[in-house]
Amino acid sequence: MDFILSSLIFTPLLAALVVLVMPAHLHRPIKAVALLGTLVQMGLAVFLYLRFDGVAFANGQQGYQFVEKLNWIGFALGNLGLFQIEYFLGVDGISISMVLLTGIVGVIGIISSWTITSKVKGYFLLYLLLLTSVMGCFLALDFFLFYLFFEFMLLPMYFLIGIWGGPRREYAAIKFFIYTLVGSLFILIVMIGLYTSVIDPAATARQLGLLERGMAASPEVIRQVQQMLQQNTISTQQMVHTFSIPAMMEAANFLPDSLLHVMSRITLWDLPVRFIAFLLLLAGFAIKVPVVPVHTWLPDAHVEAPTPISVLLAAILLKVGGYGLIRIVYPVFPDAATYFSVLVGGLGVLSIIYGALNALAMNDLKKLIAYSSVSHMGFVLLGLASLTTEGVNGAVYMMFSHGIISAMLFLVVGVIYDRAHDRMIQNFRGLANVMPAYTTFVVIAFFASLGLPGFSGFIAELLVLIGGFSAPEATGMLPRWLTIVAVFGLLLAAAYYLWALQRMFFGKFWMFPELRESAVITDLNTREYLMLVPLTLLALLFGIFPHLLLDKIGIAVNGFSELVLQNGQEQLNIVLSTIVP
Amino acid sequence: MNEQAVYLSETIDAIVAGAGSLLPELLLAIFFLLLVTLDLFKSPTIKRLLPWLALSGLFASLLLQILGGYTSGDEPFLNLLLSDGLARYAGILFSTAGIFTILLSLQNRPLERLQQGKGEYYALILMLVLGLNLMGKSVNLLMVFLAIETVSIASYILTLTLKHEKRAVEAGLKYILYGALSAGVMLYGMSFFYGLTGTLNYSSEVFRIGLLQANTLLVTVAAVLVFAGFFFKISAAPFHFWVSDVYQGAPLPVVALFSTGPKMAGIIVILRFVKPFENQLAYADVQLFLGIAAIATLVIGNFTALWQNTPRRLLAYSSVSHAGFLLTGLLAFNTDYTVSVLFYLTVLLFMNFGIFLFLQLSENTFKVQKLEDFAGLGRAYPFIGVMALLYLLSLTGLPPLAGFMGKLLIFSNVWEAYTLGGNTLLLTLLIIGVLLTGVALFYYIKIPYYLFFKGNFREENLVTSLSDKLLLALFALPLLVLFFKPDLLLNWMKQLLAQTL
Repeated sequence: MDFILSSLIFTPLLAALVVLVMPAHLHRPIKAVALLGTLVQMGLAVFLYLRFDGVAFANGQQGYQFVEKLNWIGFALGNLGLFQIEYFLGVDGISISMVLLTGIVGVIGIISSWTITSKVKGYFLLYLLLLTSVMGCFLALDFFLFYLFFEFMLLPMYFLIGIWGGPRREYAAIKFFIYTLVGSLFILIVMIGLYTSVIDPAATARQLGLLERGMAASPEVIRQVQQMLQQNTISTQQMVHTFSIPAMMEAANFLPDSLLHVMSRITLWDLPVRFIAFLLLLAGFAIKVPVVPVHTWLPDAHVEAPTPISVLLAAILLKVGGYGLIRIVYPVFPDAATYFSVLVGGLGVLSIIYGALNALAMNDLKKLIAYSSVSHMGFVLLGLASLTTEGVNGAVYMMFSHGIISAMLFLVVGVIYDRAHDRMIQNFRGLANVMPAYTTFVVIAFFASLGLPGFSGFIAELLVLIGGFSAPEATGMLPRWLTIVAVFGLLLAAAYYLWALQRMFFGKFWMFPELRESAVITDLNTREYLMLVPLTLLALLFGIFPHLLLDKIGIAVNGFSELVLQNGQEQLNIVLSTIVP
Repeated sequence: MNEQAVYLSETIDAIVAGAGSLLPELLLAIFFLLLVTLDLFKSPTIKRLLPWLALSGLFASLLLQILGGYTSGDEPFLNLLLSDGLARYAGILFSTAGIFTILLSLQNRPLERLQQGKGEYYALILMLVLGLNLMGKSVNLLMVFLAIETVSIASYILTLTLKHEKRAVEAGLKYILYGALSAGVMLYGMSFFYGLTGTLNYSSEVFRIGLLQANTLLVTVAAVLVFAGFFFKISAAPFHFWVSDVYQGAPLPVVALFSTGPKMAGIIVILRFVKPFENQLAYADVQLFLGIAAIATLVIGNFTALWQNTPRRLLAYSSVSHAGFLLTGLLAFNTDYTVSVLFYLTVLLFMNFGIFLFLQLSENTFKVQKLEDFAGLGRAYPFIGVMALLYLLSLTGLPPLAGFMGKLLIFSNVWEAYTLGGNTLLLTLLIIGVLLTGVALFYYIKIPYYLFFKGNFREENLVTSLSDKLLLALFALPLLVLFFKPDLLLNWMKQLLAQTL
């Protein structure tokens, strides 16, 4: 139990090491090892999910369960005092949903990868490394550790798209890499700023001799250290700077003369530095989400990536962006989050509408689904910006539900592409006549995605919209018209899905003549059932019994929105009154 | 007459008393002379021993400096050379660079085929390292000049090792012309300082006070002139024009040495020289000049590298951009930037030798001349490809490699300095520096792009030697270790540096 989170992260890495020493021609054993690794990871994730009891999201370590905390890097850096990086893991209600999702999609992806035939060893090695870094991202509570996993994710993805992808794979891989790297550079700037500004009160208490080594810090001691810090009575040599995200969430842990302190008078372009930092982080994570207008890497990456990699990309990699916003950006800068709520919500609505309109215009089925991802991730931003309990619950629910449903969507695209080596909508008609089972799953996936009641997507969208509509009264965050505009996104989603269904699947069977020679149109095989059936069941399960997930995430989300709202209002007043004397 | 005799005997006493502090340099000098003498013999056995002799000389000096215990207090030797902790750590870096150079040379085909001047080649490496050591210890302007010239002369000749190649001759000529020009400019600036302060010892209080009393404009002009000479050594803009040609013409081990040795020594010299200029109010102009130079170096290095299509030129501009990062680190005045800069230098040493070894391997075995020639190499030889990837990611500054840690430390200092002083220049530097990492990725990634994405390599099975592979792993290992446990090195460095204070 003590190391369950580490095991979750490092199980795929262990499997990767096994794959590394295996001879490259043993295709089946390599696949089996990879499958075993992901199955164990999924098992651990499910176990963790069941054991997790959803305690309150609190200010500090108490809110996290299964915490692992080890000193990793520590040294004195002159004026900066001590520099401390920890191996700090923990789960709360928000991360538990992502952990479960990663576990499930990891296995589905391996099953989908079973047909990979070229350079099998390298493929599965990179796949497993990718899973390790994604899982690490969702479990890390130390910003440095998070950043390490966040950056490391790019590399396996770059190669997976660039080597096993479609015709324009190289372009797509580089575009993906550069876009997301630039995003993480914005994050890096803020990370440097944060850790030079924030101290770890417990470790500082130890330095000051207020606390015996190895003893846990009581709240009184922490408060005492924080007071001393704010009164400038701790010498810089004795401060212990930290990357710990929970420490960054408390305004009292910021050095009084640091630029990111709420009382800092320094402004850049007439905005407090804290606001600039928030915008940089927002930009960094928005690229990952992705949010219009920095979404352009996504359609390319999706179209060129092989099916299982598209599945991973849509189902879990995109979630890292939204998760980063919830885990880091909002709690650390609640003042800026409330100040910029219209911007965040507006970007969300822009993504919803723009993504949907683009999806409507696409001829390539995979591109259509890629843009529908952009549209759906917009709901995450909208829900988050509302800062109502319903809205944030909806945002987290949307991330989970979109993970399941987008995996299905990309899998069904993969099915037709495997058979016809083509996925242009206008090249097919009446597929329902020859592939009835396949058509059933396509219909299920499309309807689940467009928010049919009974599927998890419905719950998510409903919660986000309720949150959005109640926001003006409950939290005063969003104007109502924004949410009204967002509703049109649902309408558009119905339009592009139904239109695609009608064009490709209904009517008399017809196929573009040139495709006929190489295409072998058969219905689903066992492997494909093995992926689609569980995903369908999950989408239904979480659509009919939403409390299964909401019970786990609910308390954490309530804590989150209360914390952000309360701290946000308080700190925003301080920030604004400081810069405008 | 009598006075002179007293002065002479005092000087001799000082020399004898202080000689201990120069033990590593003496050792290098002895081995240098030994090498030159033995090179006169025609016996092939002796000739074959020469590299190993040079190697043992460098090892001896490395060990001596790691173990320490030879220094004679904090007094500078004849007011010229200071053997403090900084010099000791720098000396360790220089000796290591020398050792790596020889290890690379032993694997280098064109050098192997060289009929004449092999002994001279190894002797010159020793001389260069000796010069670097002197640069690291200098606290006197004249001594700095002498040390830099020692290094330069050795560099000019080393560039010309492969005399039969046209591009080597061109590179050597360019190098010597630029070198002579910048040396002249630097000397001119030094004479200003002597005139303004009456002393050449720039670590002394007299120098500091003299500067404060002097005309600010004159001080700025003098500083700009002197920095010109230093910038030439570290290949910072606008004195970087020699870099691409020399990197194109010189043998790769020498290129690897140039990209680390003189750069490290130049940075150490600047580190010492810049101390009197830390006061932001008095020397705003000097700092502005340095800041602009750092920005220009970063921008020129990174953006020019984008357009290169040979690996040597690409790495030449990458080396310019690293000079920019190092200058950025030096501008974080009033913070503890020495440790960060030294850490970056250490990381640079391993990354550069690693990537140049990879390049040497590719040139020798796979006849790589252009970036396109890397096509498919990584697929056919995964180990070599993965090693190259590690070095390139470290050069870019991505986790989990030490290059990231180096940049993180430097940027942390810059942020801290900005918080302390509120100098907008620093913020600009920080933002430009971080964002240029994105540009850097764009050109570094070209190499793995060809290695792994492009068509399969011609199927002939070429043999790569085991020693090459071992060396590749040897250079890569510290990059991983220094990412995951940088405190091991940082704490040791702090201990060493404590000797300075």
